[in-house]
Formats: sequence, C-alpha cells, structure tokens
Amino acid sequence: MSGAQLARSQPRISVGRVSPVDIVLWSLRILVLFVVFAGTIGAIVKDRYTAAQWFDFVMFGLTIGAIYAQIALGYTMVYGVLRLINFAHGDIVMCGAFAGYFVASPLDRSGFLTDHPVIGMAAILAVAVATSTGIALLTERIAYRPFRRVAGSGPLIAAIGVSFFLEQTFRGMFGSSVKSYPAPAWQRSTFEVWGFNVPRIDVLVIGLAIVFMAGLYLIVQRTKMGTAMRAVAEDAEAAALMGIDVNKVVVFTFVLGGAMAGIAGVFYAFVYKQVYFFMGFTPGIKAFGAAVLGGIGSIPGAMIGGVFLGLVESVGPSLFLDGLGIPAPYQLRDLIAFTLLIMVLIFRPNGIFGERMAKQRA
Amino acid sequence: MKTPTRSRMPERMTGFRMPESMTRSRTLRRILLATTLATTALAVARPAPANAAQTLGPVTDEIGVIRIPKNAPIQIGGMWVLSGADTALGLDEKRGVELAFKTVGGKLLGHPLKLNAEDDQCNAEGGQTAATKLAANPQTVVVLGPACSSVATPGAPILWQAGIVDIGTACTAPALTAPNRGPQYAGFVRTVFSDSEQGKADATYAREGLKAATVVTVHDGSPYAQQLQQVMADNFTKLGGKVLSQEAVSPNDVDMHPLLTKIASEKPDLIYFPLFTAAAAQVLRQAKETPGLEKTVLLGGGSLASAAFIEAAGPSVVGFRIGYPDISADAMGKDYPNFVAEYKKTYNEGPISGYHANAYDGAMLAMKAIEKVAKTDSAGNLYIGKKALRDAIFDTKFEGISGPIACDANGQCAQFKPSVLEFTSADPKTYDLGKNPKKIWPK
Repeated sequence: MSGAQLARSQPRISVGRVSPVDIVLWSLRILVLFVVFAGTIGAIVKDRYTAAQWFDFVMFGLTIGAIYAQIALGYTMVYGVLRLINFAHGDIVMCGAFAGYFVASPLDRSGFLTDHPVIGMAAILAVAVATSTGIALLTERIAYRPFRRVAGSGPLIAAIGVSFFLEQTFRGMFGSSVKSYPAPAWQRSTFEVWGFNVPRIDVLVIGLAIVFMAGLYLIVQRTKMGTAMRAVAEDAEAAALMGIDVNKVVVFTFVLGGAMAGIAGVFYAFVYKQVYFFMGFTPGIKAFGAAVLGGIGSIPGAMIGGVFLGLVESVGPSLFLDGLGIPAPYQLRDLIAFTLLIMVLIFRPNGIFGERMAKQRA
Repeated sequence: MKTPTRSRMPERMTGFRMPESMTRSRTLRRILLATTLATTALAVARPAPANAAQTLGPVTDEIGVIRIPKNAPIQIGGMWVLSGADTALGLDEKRGVELAFKTVGGKLLGHPLKLNAEDDQCNAEGGQTAATKLAANPQTVVVLGPACSSVATPGAPILWQAGIVDIGTACTAPALTAPNRGPQYAGFVRTVFSDSEQGKADATYAREGLKAATVVTVHDGSPYAQQLQQVMADNFTKLGGKVLSQEAVSPNDVDMHPLLTKIASEKPDLIYFPLFTAAAAQVLRQAKETPGLEKTVLLGGGSLASAAFIEAAGPSVVGFRIGYPDISADAMGKDYPNFVAEYKKTYNEGPISGYHANAYDGAMLAMKAIEKVAKTDSAGNLYIGKKALRDAIFDTKFEGISGPIACDANGQCAQFKPSVLEFTSADPKTYDLGKNPKKIWPK
C-alpha cells in the first residue's frame, strides 16, 4: 500500500519540476526523431532511388562536408587561441578561390591544366594558399591585434567589418559578376568502384582534404609550435608566463587557418565552378555551424562536424523529407542542416567533442 | 501585490505610490498597444492613397498635386537591380530610360528631366527600401522599373500609397496585373508582358516544339520563378503533358547535385527552371554531370539573356535554351533598329540584356502622360495632378519600340509574342540578342 503510494507520488514530484521550456525541447526532440525515422522508413518503402543514386548523395555530402571541415578548422583554431569568432573567415576562403581562379583560368585556356593536371593543380593551390594566408595575416595584424586586450564585443564587430571590407574590395576590383571556374575534362571524368560511378573531382577533394587535415592534426599535436598553440588555447596568460610568445602563436594559428581556407576555396570553386565576391558567406556560416556542432575549439570536432553537416545537407532532403512526401524538399536543405545543428546542441550543449575542453576550462 | 489591507488604506497615508503609477503605465501601455495594433493593421491593409484633394496653382487633384518650380527638373524615380549577379538586367533597363530621355533632348515642357535611380538588389528588402526612398521625395512624379517581381510586389504598394504610379519595365509575375490584384496595386502598370503569357508559350514549345511528355520544374521561391513555373506546369498539363514534380532551391544554393540526382530518378524529358543567373548557371553546369540527365532538355527563363549568364555558366551554356519574348526585328516596333544603333553609340556596346526596349517604352509612356496632364502657370511653374497622371498613363496608347503600348484596366500595357532562344557560344563577348542567343522557335 505504502509502496503504491510512493510510486504514485513519484511522478507528481517530477511533473512539478518540468518547465514549459523542457516540454518544448522534448517535443522538439520527439518531432525531429519522428521526422528522421518516419522519413527514412518512408524513403526505404518508396524505393525511389537506386543504390547508385544513394551512393551519389553520400559522395556529394562527403565532398561538401570535407570542404566545410577545412573551413571550420579556421574558425575553431582562432576561437581556441583568441576566443574570437573570426567572421571574416568565409571571405578569406573567397580570397583563396579568387586567387585560384586567376591562375586556373589562363592555365585552362592555354591547355596546360589538361596536359599537366598535377603541376597545374599544385600551382593553383600554392597561389591560393599564399593569397589567403597573406590576407589572413594582414587581417590579424591590422584589424585583430589592436583589439587583443579589449573586452566586450569590439573584436567581433571588427571581424564583421573585415568581412564586409574584403567582400566589397573584391567586388570593387573584379566586379560583381559571377565568374565561371574552368572545368578541364579530367575533372569531369568518373571511374568505377564496385559498380558505382565515382567522380574523380570528388575523390580528389575528399582525399586531399583528409591528407591536409591529417597534416594539420600532426602539426598541432606533435610539433613544438603546435604544443605552444594548445598551451595558449588552454590558458594564454600562464602560457606567456612559461615563456611562450603569444603573438607568434596567434600568427601561426592564422597561417594554418588561412592555408586551410585557401585550399577549401579552391576545392569549393572546383566543385561548384563559380566565383564571386559574396561566395564566402554561405560556406562561412555553414562551417561556423559545423565548428559549433563539433565543439568549438576542438580540431577533430571541426572535422567531424563539417563532414556531418555536409552529409545531412546532401542526404537529408531525400531521406527524411522525400520519404514523408514533402514536395520540393531541396528548398528546405538549410532548415534540415540547422535543425540538426540545434538538435545536437540540445542533446550535447558543448558540441560533439566539446565536453572535455569545457570541463578543463571550468 | 494587492493585499486586502493595503487596498483598504488610503494611498496617501501609506505613501505607497506604486499602484497608482502602475495603473497609469498600464493605461499608457494599453493605449500604446492599441496604437501599434492600429498602425500595423493600417500598414498591412495599405489602402489607396490617403491624401486629401489638393489644389495648387491651376490644378486640383483628388490625391495631390506636384509643383515643379520654373527651371527645376522633373524628377522621375527609377529602381532596378544595379549590383550583384543580375546587374546587367537592371542596368540595361536604366540605359533604355536614359535613351528615352535623350530622344526628347533631356527636356520635357521646358523642364530638364532627372532620373533618380535606386538599386533595389532584386529582392524584397531592397525593393522596400528603394520604394520608400523614392516615395519620401515629394518631387517624384512617377517611378520606372523594377526589373524583378520580388521588388515590385512590396514596392508598388508603397509608391501608390504616396500617390506615385510605378511603371514596371521587366517584372513579369502574373499576380502584379491579375484582375484580383487588390487596390494597393492600382498605381502599377507594366510595359512588359505577363508571365501568364510566357508560361503558356513555354508550355506550348515544350509540348509542340520539343514533343516533351514529362517535365520537372524548379523555382527559387521568388515571385517571378514561382509563378512562372506554376503557369507553365498548369498549361503543360492542359496540353496533355505530365508534371512529375515541382522542385525548389534557394537563390544562393551552389550544390545542385542532390537535387539533380533526385530529378534524374524521375526521368523527365525536360527540366524547366526559370531561375536567376547564379542558381541557373549551377543547375545548368551540374545537370551535364548528373548521370541519367544526358538526354534531358533544359529550358530556362528570360532573366538569363545576358553576357553575365554566359560568363557564369561557362561552356555548358552552348545549346541551352530560354523562353523569351520575340525580339527579332520583324516582331519589334519599327523604330527598334534605330534604338539599337543609338544604344551602341552611347554606351560603346550592344544591349547587355533583354528589356531595354520595354524600359524605353515605359519612359515614353510616362512622358506622354505627363505632357497630357501637366499645366504651367504664368510664372512658368509646372503642376501635375497625381490622380490625373495615373489615369492618363492608363489611357495613353502609342506604337512603342517593343510593340504597341496600351494599358488594360489591370495595368497590363504590353503584348506578348513568344519565341525560344538558344545560346550558340560560351564567350561572353559574343553576347548579342538575336545571334547569341539566337531565335530557334517559332521557325
């Protein structure tokens, strides 16, 4: 009897503690999970796409995801070291894409890019990396360093200002038109793996992204400079007291971030074949989302977050919404991506890899 | 807060002033709320111009009179897309208007003509800003443009609330001149065809010219693309074809691969995507790489007739077709060749997009109507009644360079002759309406 009473009184206590916010959050979780599961089942039942088409969706997702991941690295490293959200990072990507375009375009016209793809690609990447690294360093020196000791939102506003400055400068110098990136034939070709057609450019982008990101991870984990970077990220003042030159570390961080942005810009332009002054904005926002998703400040988090976001964007509309019979699902692609971002943050407020760091800093 | 003890005590004795000030602020808040609600309601309803009848000089007008002092310019507003990927579309129309002013020597009724052109960025927010700015200028007589329906949709009501007529020069969304368009659009006319015609023509071409049995349409959420693909889809069905699906993208999307893979799974004969430059170029380029779409015909819309689009689309543009009004010499007004010659002389290049003639005719329509209703007093000041000008614009009929101009009761002033154009070269420098892209239908 008393046991039953206790059992009855138990839920009443917990009901008292549930706030309207909790109810909303829980219904949101249930709704999203419902959409995900019902949509997936619907898509499987409908059987509209062949295995090859699902494979294509995944490939597209991995390609854009690899690019997001590389951009996200720049956000996350700068945030780790400076606690600054570098809103101009997307525009640094744009600078890299533009620099690559001005090399790729004449190389393509002269036929060099078709005859010597490896040297051609290396040249394009080198120029793009040099440009975006240079611009990233200049931004740091001119716009961010004077704000280093300023508390409040000054640095953030400066970052937004730099973003506008870069966009409008490129617009002023090269016009507002959309420029078409060259697409030599070897890029468009595909090869076959287990009966699936794989576009060469996707493999190149994903493969090189993995190589570059692995290199970056090794630099951060194994070199002296990387160790110093992690030390500054952990506690800048203590690091300075230990004799670490914080300015040097910050410059190094911007070099790494700028180089990744340059590579990402070239890849982005090679896959989507357009450059224009505002092109950095959308991937910038998405990559920032990816960095938060993975746990801002965490390098593996940025990589995983980027790939996850890319996959969800590419596969999500066909898998979740098409299965539910929603018309024109691709219009809702950003909605899916950012809803899932919110979902991850509801379940794990510090992002996928954020917990360990948050605990250490608390 | 209110305990029985406190409320029974006189307030002054307790010195407790809180409730009094609270009641006052509550009343105040209520008044504020009511006012806000009323204003919002008014703003949403946006009735016809509220200005009372006005008499100035020799003119009395129901909704207001504009007085232009002697030698002061007649100010004509303009709003077009003058930045971003679709710049050519808007700039071309602005030039059409400038050339129209030039043909009358830059002067009308002894007053110089002044064009106040605003950049509307081809989106609703930009249109709202541009229209508000032009409406705020009491000397704005009439507004020419915009190029984009997403601008006209919020812009025209703002202008008409200030009693200003808006003459659309390339915005073709059917709703803008539909019979049920609502009183807030009473001040909107256009010297360009309606997409209810364009969509019908595109559907006819798809069924009869291409013999397509199935179609997938793609729009970008803009009033232009959304309404045009809907009209096309409806007519396509009516003509016995099958619409497999109606897809949508965002104007700034770059990754069309997943969408195109989905479309490929439906195996359509035709993809119809009347999008703007950036998104359309992406669809076009990526469609060629999508397995399953090798034989699918791609058909775009009139906003793509520009060198900028060739530049954005690259080599894949060759063979790409767009539905477009017929602008070959025999379909246009007889003065059109002279206009093109003058255009080349003034700007050192041929027309950069497709709606210069409509803009030129729009400016001519405005000037002819102003000439009809404007009155000069003995001191040389010019007076224009706003309602009279609106009626004169609806009444004016003439032979324009884009064809006959005559407005119906809903503000539709231009007729439509359909054609389909095909791009022949991927070099932006070769852009020349009539040669690249060249007319392929009707033969």
